[in-house]
Order: sequence, then structure tokens, then C-alpha cells
Amino acid sequence: MITNLSVASRKAYRPLTTVALVVATETVGAVFLRQFLLAEDWRLVVTLLAIFAAALVAFERRPHLEGAIASGFRTHRRFATLLGVVLVALFPFALEKNTYALHLCVVSQLYAVLALALNFQLGSANIPNFATGASYGIGAYVSALLALNFDVSFWIALPAAAIVATAFGFLLGIPSMRTRDSYLALVTIAFGVVINQLLNTLDFTGGPNGLVGIPAPEIFGHSFASPLVVLGYELPPQANFYYLSAMLVLVAILFADRLHNSRVGLAWNALRADELAARCQGINTTWYKVLAFAVDAFLAGFAGTIYAFYVGFISPENFTFLVSVTIMTMVIAGGMDNILGVLVGAVLLTLLPEKLRAFSDYRILFFGVTVIGFLLIRPQGIFPKRLRRYEV
Amino acid sequence: MTELIVQQVLNWLTLGSIYALIAVGFSLLFGVLNIIHFSHGDVSLVSPFIALALTQSLAAAVGAPASLGYFVFAALLAIILTGLLGVVLDILVIQRFRNAPAMMALVATVALGIVLREVIRNGFPNGSNPHPFPRIASGSLDVGGFMIPTFDLAAMLAAVLAVAALFFLLGNTRLGLHIKAVSQDRDAARLMAISPSRIFRMTFFIASAVGAVGGLFFSSYAGMARFDFSIEVGLIGFSAAVVGGLGSMPGAIIGSLLIAGLDTLVQAVVANGASYRLVFVFLLVIAVLVFRPSGLLGRTAIEKV
Repeated sequence: MITNLSVASRKAYRPLTTVALVVATETVGAVFLRQFLLAEDWRLVVTLLAIFAAALVAFERRPHLEGAIASGFRTHRRFATLLGVVLVALFPFALEKNTYALHLCVVSQLYAVLALALNFQLGSANIPNFATGASYGIGAYVSALLALNFDVSFWIALPAAAIVATAFGFLLGIPSMRTRDSYLALVTIAFGVVINQLLNTLDFTGGPNGLVGIPAPEIFGHSFASPLVVLGYELPPQANFYYLSAMLVLVAILFADRLHNSRVGLAWNALRADELAARCQGINTTWYKVLAFAVDAFLAGFAGTIYAFYVGFISPENFTFLVSVTIMTMVIAGGMDNILGVLVGAVLLTLLPEKLRAFSDYRILFFGVTVIGFLLIRPQGIFPKRLRRYEV
Repeated sequence: MTELIVQQVLNWLTLGSIYALIAVGFSLLFGVLNIIHFSHGDVSLVSPFIALALTQSLAAAVGAPASLGYFVFAALLAIILTGLLGVVLDILVIQRFRNAPAMMALVATVALGIVLREVIRNGFPNGSNPHPFPRIASGSLDVGGFMIPTFDLAAMLAAVLAVAALFFLLGNTRLGLHIKAVSQDRDAARLMAISPSRIFRMTFFIASAVGAVGGLFFSSYAGMARFDFSIEVGLIGFSAAVVGGLGSMPGAIIGSLLIAGLDTLVQAVVANGASYRLVFVFLLVIAVLVFRPSGLLGRTAIEKV
């Protein structure tokens, strides 16, 4: 199967049109997200979802439209990135000081990091991992325990938690050397259940009650619990964490992009295509598999730490098997091995159950039905994985 | 002391029988379809709710208070209905993932399990709360000086009968032959005028009905029916099938007995064992898979270049 090599066939578009396309796509996306976040009425929510679905169908019907946008983003890569960063930075100002909308943004960003983390395994290397939720939990608990028991500041707890989570990731990676497919899936499920049950029963993790009173981080004397004032405009305290998690998402994207375009990413793709063939090419499959677990746990540890310090209260309930399943669904629904797709999947699936609170009792049901519907209607995800492009 | 040991052994065998009834379905479905039907546990645990609803409506229709007789009748009906539920789910959802990557089918059936649980929670009257579930058999028998609860005997008997029927069906009937043919080579079976879709549906019916027996006994064992029981039972049933080796019926039974054994042992020996039981059970699962990557009786796939 030759999928990795394809010569980029580029149509020439006039530079001005392509710039306009990039600007239009990003602004429309941002405005849409803002309206969706601020929508209170369920009818509006459903209408917006329908518009989103219609846009997807339109892209499916008119591939050249998608191609034009994609090529625009490719030719004006720097500009597109810069505009994206500016939009993300300005986004909280457009939310009318709505704390709930900001909160949803923070949670979406944390899930985006988790989904990107899982994407290394599920998307790049096709390794099933139902333990991302556990790594997330390990990160949260380690940092919270450090802060509560040893007065460690957030900025030290952050790397410490990531390192511990990575160590557990390696630990989980070891049985993965021998098992595969369904058997490997069960090993990761078992690992997740063991971690969750331990958090639930051990004394020092607070049992089912969890840990309470995790202090808010501070930077240069500015507490994250106090409102953020920018040029006289006061943003709610959640904005602090918004920018913090936005940084983490940015780091995760850079990380994912660099890895995807490196030998490591190529080796993972080779593992996905054919493990035996990869081994014959001299790829140390064991090492790359374990590495995928470690990278996943590393990023999940970061996300867990920010979550713990953001919410200030964690319990085993936040890190169950279902959390892992949700993260997995984000990757699959968004598009495996496609960074943009995974991000969109994460945001969409975080917001969906929250925005469906009008159906309170039925929202988990609705979530399950949506997932099945997605897998049935668009199994390749919102943004399917792209061929690798090599330019001569 | 002996009394205590006998009691624990009985507990082990009862629990092992119940787990086996569910694990066998996982293994059978994997053997035939080559996908993991993760919602099998959830399907199996729909049966107690069907039985409860049927008992009440039966009693209401006759106008007499619900008695054990109605319950047994309702339970038998529930087993058949649960089998049909499996077939319906296959037609509606699972069959569309026949040729999809294994991960897709796995995630889809996990979502299907969520849907089933939520339908019970929202659809059954007062579904979020536990419902008392009658004990299928009460009292105990005196066997050689030991009092053995009839419920334990009933559970073991049900498991032995169900498994024996399954073995007979797979080994000695035309349907069993067809099932084996489809599981070995779908296309070759089709050339021999065996319809794979029909066989898949039969397999779904059999697996779900056997699972339903397990579900009824589990609820009876716990004394109540809860919509979220299926998470734990499904995971344990799946683990038992995997530990034994997916696709192997004897493996599923051995796996169930192993897991139930550790479960009862931990609860009996370790202090505060009830809260640590799942930790031990799943550590065992990991340990077995590290040393036997395809389960205890699983076929090791050797790839040749």
C-alpha cells in the first residue's frame, strides 16, 4: 500500500484570493464558535449544529472548495498561524465576560491536549489506548498531592507531574511490547481501572472524596484566582487559565507537528501500515510503541495538572474509563492522524454534552447516539487523515 | 474452618458460573465476527429489567400479586427477548462495521453500551435507582452435613446446562457446523451456500440469550437490578474471555473461574478487600497477558514473512 508518497499537485491560485480565503475561514470559525458558546436556547444550539453539519456535507460534495482552502493554508502557513494565534488571544474579549463560556473554553482546550496526546498512538501508530484518562488522573493527583502536602508551587508541580505520568506511561508500555489489538486494548483498560480503583481506595488520595482546596497558581505576584486586567478591560479569573491552557495547546500542536514530520512520526505510520514490514525495515517497533505510550502520558500529565489547579478539587470520578472513551471518540470523530481534525473533534465533543443541558437527563444518551451516528455516517472523521506531502 | 472454606468455594463457583455465562458470549461473538462486541455485557444486563417489567405487567394483567411462578415465566421470556435484542442491535448498528477497522467497531459498541444503559436509566420507571430483584431460588440443601444454598446450585446448574447446550450446538448440529464454517472463512462459507449474515444473527441470538441467563443470575446474586451494573460485569466478562483466549469457549470458562477465584479470595483474605477486588482482578489480567499475550488458550498468531 503506497499511501505515504504522493507528489503534491498544486493548482495556482492568485495570492490575494488565497489570503482572503484563509482570513475568511479563520474568522468564520471563530465567530461560529463564539455564537455556539454563547447560545442559551437549545433551538439555537441545534440550528448551529445543523449549519456545521451542512458545511461538512458541502465540503464532502465540493472537494475543490476544501482543496482551495487547504492549499491557501499551505501557501500562507506563517500568516495563517499568526492570525490563528491573534484570534485565540482576542477570543476571551468577545465572550462578554461570560464565565461559563470561558470555562467551557478551558475544558475544551484541556481535552484538545488529551486528544492530541492520544492521537500519537491511535492516529499515528494505530495502538488502542484506553488509559489516557488514567494518565490525566495521575498528572492531576501527583501535582495536587505535591501542592497540598509539600507546598510545591504550580510551576514546579507541572513538570514533576508530567514526569511521573510519563514513568507510568513507560510502565504501561512494557506489556504493550507483547500484546496487540484487542488484547492490548484490554491491557490499557485494565490499567485504567486499576489506577481509578486505587485513587478511589487509597487513603492519601482522599478516596472517593478526592482532594480539595488545591491553591490557585501564581505568577509574578498575580494570582490566577483574581480577575485578569488587560489595558483596563477586566476579564473573569477563568481567563488566566484560558491563556495557560491555550499555551499548552500551542505547545502540544508544535510537539505533534514536529513529531509527525520527524522520523518518529514516520516510524509510527509505518507501524500502522504494517508492523511486520516496519520491523523488516529496521524500525525498532518495541521502542516506538513504548515511546508512543510515554508521549501520550507526558502530555496528559500536563493537562491533568492544569485541570487540578484550575478546578481546585479532583476526585476519581473525573478520571474514569468513560473519560478515556470520550477522548478516544474525539480522535476518531475528528479524524485520526490529523491535528486540525483532532482539535475540532475535541472542542465539538466537549461542548456538545454541555450545550445539550436542556435535555439534561438525555444528554449522555444523545452523546452515545451522536458517536454511533458519526461512525456510521463519516467513519473517516470530520477531517480525514491526509497524505504526507513531500516537496522536491 | 471447613465450613468457611466450603462457603468460599461455593461463592467462587457461583460467581465463576455467572461470569462464565457472560464471557462465553464475548468469546463466541469474537470467534465468529472477529470484532469485539463491547456492549455484550450491557445487552446481557438488560434482561433483569425486562424480567421485572414482565413480572409486574403479568401480575397486573392477572390481578394477583407477583409470585415466583410469574417471575420464572417472565425470566424465560426475558432470555428470549434479550436474544432478540442482540439480533436487533446487530441489524441496526453492528453489521455496518463488519468490514471497518477493529477499533471502529470497538468504539461503536462501547457507545452502544452507553446508549443501552441510558435507555434503561431514562426509559425504565425510576431507572436511576436500584430495583430489588428476587432470588431465583431460596433455602438450602443439606449435602453431607454442609448446608448448600439452592441459589448457588441453581447458578452452577444453569451455567453447566447453558455451556453444555452451547458445546452441543457448536459441535453436533448443522447450525454449529455453519457457525464454524463462517468463523473460519466467510467467503468460502458463502460459496457453500451458507449465508454469513444469517449465521451472524443466530450467533447474536445465542450469545445474547446465554448472556441474559448470566444477567438474571447476577442481579439475583446481588439482590437488585441496577442500570450501571453492566459496566463492571461487562468489563469482567470481557476480561475473562480475553484472559482465556478470545474465540475459545473452554478458555472463557477457565478465565471466568480464575477471575472469580481471585475475586472471592481477595474479599475473604485481604483487609478491606471489597474495595481492592477490582485492582487485583485487573492486575491479574495484565499479568496473564504479559506472559500469555493471546490469553491462556488463545491461538498465537505467528506471522511469517
